[in-house]
Amino acid sequence: METSLHRDAGFWVMIAIGLALLVAGPLVWDLFQIMQITQYVVLSVYVLSLSYIWGFGGILSFGQAAFFGLGAYTFSVASINMGETTFPFLLAFGLPALFGAALGYFMFYGKLSDVYMGVVTMVVTLIFWKLINHTAGPEYAIGDARLGGFNGIPSVPVLNVPGKPEAWLDPGQMFQVFMAILVILYIVLRTLIASDFGRVSLGIRENETRAALLGYDVRRHKVIVFAIGAGIAGMAGGMWATYQTFVDPNVFSLEMSAKALIWTMAGGVGTLAGPIIAVVVLQYLSLKLGEMHVLNNNFILGGIMMVLVLLVPKGGLPTLRDALVALKARTPAALQR
Amino acid sequence: MSEPTPILTTEKLVMQFGGVTAVDHVDFSLNPGELRCLLGPNGAGKSTFFKCLTGQLKPTSGTIRLNGQDITGWETHAIVNLGVGIKTQVPNLFDGLSAYENIRMAARRRHLKPMAKERAEEMLEKCGITHLARREVGLLAHGQRQLVELATVLAPAPALVLLDEPAAGMTGAERDRLADLVLETARRAAVVVVEHDMAFIRRIAKFTTVFNRGAIFREAMIGDIMTDRAVQEIYLGKQADVAA
Ligand SMILES: Nc1ncnc2c1ncn2[C@@H]1O[C@H](COP(=O)(O)OP(=O)(O)OP(=O)(O)O)[C@@H](O)[C@H]1O
Ligand SMILES: [Mg+2]
Repeated sequence: METSLHRDAGFWVMIAIGLALLVAGPLVWDLFQIMQITQYVVLSVYVLSLSYIWGFGGILSFGQAAFFGLGAYTFSVASINMGETTFPFLLAFGLPALFGAALGYFMFYGKLSDVYMGVVTMVVTLIFWKLINHTAGPEYAIGDARLGGFNGIPSVPVLNVPGKPEAWLDPGQMFQVFMAILVILYIVLRTLIASDFGRVSLGIRENETRAALLGYDVRRHKVIVFAIGAGIAGMAGGMWATYQTFVDPNVFSLEMSAKALIWTMAGGVGTLAGPIIAVVVLQYLSLKLGEMHVLNNNFILGGIMMVLVLLVPKGGLPTLRDALVALKARTPAALQR
Repeated sequence: MSEPTPILTTEKLVMQFGGVTAVDHVDFSLNPGELRCLLGPNGAGKSTFFKCLTGQLKPTSGTIRLNGQDITGWETHAIVNLGVGIKTQVPNLFDGLSAYENIRMAARRRHLKPMAKERAEEMLEKCGITHLARREVGLLAHGQRQLVELATVLAPAPALVLLDEPAAGMTGAERDRLADLVLETARRAAVVVVEHDMAFIRRIAKFTTVFNRGAIFREAMIGDIMTDRAVQEIYLGKQADVAA
């Protein structure tokens, strides 16, 4: 149950897959495939923001898109103004994390129940979406960056090599940088979860009363976890903006929040690898189904979701794991016969 | 010789839920290292009293002092960090984690990592649950859960230990071990035990407080309490109420 990290085979397998893709991907894929897979990587970073706080901190947020969008706009506005992308990228983590800390402070110190938390996070997302949609006029500009309302901000800069604003990354390099970010994020999160801080998060997820009765400051802890999740979502938003070289209010859409929930549930709450796999599978499916133009894309995704919830309520990876364990347990008995 | 400074006092402590006064102007005092039994019929307010002491409930009025310091209205974790441990009536445990991890996390709050591990193993041994160390506590029997929770409470060696019906659901052997543990703990800490199990009470009780309808009804040595007609009546009266 609580095997240490370095003895967990799954941990090393995930890192190995990530590094193998990082090295080999640009050599074997064509440009279109690279672009497609880069998108999966960005969305994987995004889904981890929720998988972490929900699965390992017991915090269910319906508003990860608020931080995703905030990160996307932060990166866009800052990089347009600064003419380089390194600091804006850090800002895409930092600003949403700060905002997450403030929102978390209000929610957890205000002792909001889970239901109200869900409502508040959702409403905050909606407010952002509404606000940013109303910034069409030329008066809505931050420095050189016009927010553009529902039209969004065109020509968001491509990532450049730190310190060299003219050295833009080509798509292969961008994929490699993003993949490296995903691998590092995975390692950092797994390490954090295995640490005493992470143990306290698990404890709070299991029983807040006992956590407090052992002397842990539950509210402060949850604010920190929530802020980390917000920062990760924001960073993913920044990656999204530079990947598309474009950002519009849809980054704040409820659909964006819902997707994080669906991917996490489909992959399994309480794992990190599961939701990443879910991103790839479900995004690929929705791409293929979208190409066929038979049925509405959202309709099909909703259907898949319902099937998942009904048939594999624990999520993909945990169900697979249980099946393997059951198989292992059965084998010796079978051999005896 | 002067009186020792009490580790815990309450003055006119009141806890109301709407129209119900669950704790009614309780003046309570406990000396360091004292073992006190807290008796009273169902609904007398014992658990509510404990919840006020540990900040799980904010009292309606009155004062709670720990080592002379006013802690009324403090957050639970802040009170606990002054050296208070509580076993709640319905065990509060990290159900998805192992018994060992539950206890280690309790010890970790007070000790550095290696020391916390040692302490957790020591507590498993002491509570006779070493064989349960790797088991998920959500899947354990009630009596076993009680022992795991007791181990988490004792692991950081709190100066004030509150035990709410610790013997409930335990087998005879588990109960005997519990009694020994309580007596041993009381050599280093102040302990308040709420129990309905009279055989258990007889083994450990000395000075005893009886609650009735949220107020202190009697305070005396257990021998006197046992023979007190009025105390018998509130217990019997309650049972008669239940029977009716
Ligand atoms: N959260 C609450 N809201 C409303 N009433 C409550 C609440 N908690 C306790 N009470 C009421 O307060 C009174 C005291 O309850 P409490 O649980 O403290 O009794 P107790 O002495 O621990 O009883 P028992 O021996 O059955 O555990 C009861 O009448 C109970 O119904
Ligand atoms: Mg009670």
